[in-house]
Amino acid sequence: MRKLWLWVILLMSFAPTQAQTQPITLTLAAYAVPREAYAKIIPLFQADWLRQTGQEVIFEESYLASGAQSRAVVGGFAADVVALSHEQHVTNIVNAGLITADWQDNPYNGMVSASVAVLVVRPGNPREIFDWADIAQPGIEVITPDPATSGGAQWNVMGAYGAAYRGQVEGYEAGEAGALQFITDVFINVSVMDADGRESFLTFERGIGDVAITYENEYFAGLAAGGEYEIIYPSSTILIENPVAVVDVYVDQNGTREVAEAFVAFLYTPEAQAAFAESGFRPPVIQIDPDIDVTPEVEPTPEATAEGETQFPVIEDLFTIEDFGGWEVVVPSIFGDDGIYTRMIAEVKGQ
Amino acid sequence: MMQTRTLTTLNTSRTPQMIFWGVRWSALIYLSVLIALPLIVISVEGLRGGIWSFWDSITRPAALSAIFISVWTAALMTVINMIMGTLTAYVLVQYRFPGKRWLDSLIDLPFAIPTLVTGVMLILLYGPQTPIGGWIEDQFGMRIVFSSPGIVLALLFLGYPFVIRAVQPVLASLDIHQQEAAYTLGASSWLTFRRIVFPAILPAMITGGLLSFARALGEFGSIVIVSGNIPMRSQTAAVYIYGQVESGNLAAASSVSLVLMAIALLTTLLVDYLARRRTAHA
Repeated sequence: MRKLWLWVILLMSFAPTQAQTQPITLTLAAYAVPREAYAKIIPLFQADWLRQTGQEVIFEESYLASGAQSRAVVGGFAADVVALSHEQHVTNIVNAGLITADWQDNPYNGMVSASVAVLVVRPGNPREIFDWADIAQPGIEVITPDPATSGGAQWNVMGAYGAAYRGQVEGYEAGEAGALQFITDVFINVSVMDADGRESFLTFERGIGDVAITYENEYFAGLAAGGEYEIIYPSSTILIENPVAVVDVYVDQNGTREVAEAFVAFLYTPEAQAAFAESGFRPPVIQIDPDIDVTPEVEPTPEATAEGETQFPVIEDLFTIEDFGGWEVVVPSIFGDDGIYTRMIAEVKGQ
Repeated sequence: MMQTRTLTTLNTSRTPQMIFWGVRWSALIYLSVLIALPLIVISVEGLRGGIWSFWDSITRPAALSAIFISVWTAALMTVINMIMGTLTAYVLVQYRFPGKRWLDSLIDLPFAIPTLVTGVMLILLYGPQTPIGGWIEDQFGMRIVFSSPGIVLALLFLGYPFVIRAVQPVLASLDIHQQEAAYTLGASSWLTFRRIVFPAILPAMITGGLLSFARALGEFGSIVIVSGNIPMRSQTAAVYIYGQVESGNLAAASSVSLVLMAIALLTTLLVDYLARRRTAHA
């Protein structure tokens, strides 16, 4: 009997410390592009969390195409945190009832990284492409992914469409008609439409096409991998924003809410943002007022290019998807069954 | 002694019957869970919006052209492979040469290679920046990959084993005396092939061809890489369906899948019919 008491006391003295040091597992479902950035950020967060709570965090990371990742989470893949390329993919998870809190309730609207739609050309810019208007010239071969399969490709189309809509493309009238005419002329020139952004840029790297419409971060990633090409910033282009969110239903099931929220908050710290910047992402833009303030709050590492410019040049006329009513308006009206783009591409390529 | 013996015989005669029932039912259940159930789900999903929405989904220009491109590329591949596959099978059965066994096992490789790899391989081989691809583009002004020839090429690669493996056993079991008799009667080897060998292997050629056709209809992995994926020009039905799924348009995706399934079903029924006719003849 006395022995039993001893055991109980012994066990109880162990219990609290055990609960504290018990490692916790956090599942991250991300799209494939920021993989390198997360490879740097995750160890930083693990150290930070260990220092603050004495608890070890084990990460389970899944990297897939953004749309596929979104479908997997809706289908029951119990990820605690999702990091996707396209707001619509988070909206799908919200509509499935898995994200119940307002995930955009932070100064950054839930957007953890940003980029812009740009043009990438061959070394020396032999076809003399300086802005959007030049890629609509007859005989220019353009590469861009298929907006039907790639959420990312929709940014490209909206970059071109939006610039023309705002009257920023020479030779095209501002407004819907001019914008439609412009993307029609561009897509006449499109010769390969790969399924996703990475594959599309790979095709360009393999020597196909005169110009690729892509994202700034893709260019930086390609450059880091030893690619040889030049980036052309259009005078007017779209701000690409990548959302991150805690999946409420799953974190409550997994008992990981606290650490999941801490991880998402950590992504906005200067050290995490520096990792994103190294992978070519712009810091997120504060969107408290509808007029976008382009000044980043968190400074990325000030890397300078050969010309002495900062890593992320300021775009003269930067617009966002909100200027066109947000994705919930744009997806049906531009990319839906009877959307402007869908009808245009059938007509252009059907000839 | 006598009685125990009868009992054992009774027992042993009942056991095979139960095994038979077990085998039959597990096969049926397996078939329905693995094949029938998913097919039913796709059919229900495709027809959920009613027949008009189904019709609307499959008659969109991009959908129609995608189905058409899938069918013609698969059909062209089938014709080429029926000829070249038969030729290969003929060579493998009739002739002896060093490395024959090695070559014979090489043929099944396309079954094992992920088709995505096939696609990447074709681009590395025939891309416009490669010697072969560049030469063809210069000489003929024609692009192999990122265009419809690339689709046919990818399908040729993955459809190759079907015809060979269908024709090979038939060729091997052919009665050599018939051919010898034909030679003795003064028939040329071409005449012998046409009159003796060809009629015997034709059903197997068609069976193999149609199987590869059905397989090619749904091919995705290699085509998404090599086709260039231009709607109305080089986008096949499988890639179109992928686009619809990615855009959250499951109904349209299922509708077009239903059309593909119907075409594949018709081909397999045809194969079945031909196979039955062949056994009836034999």
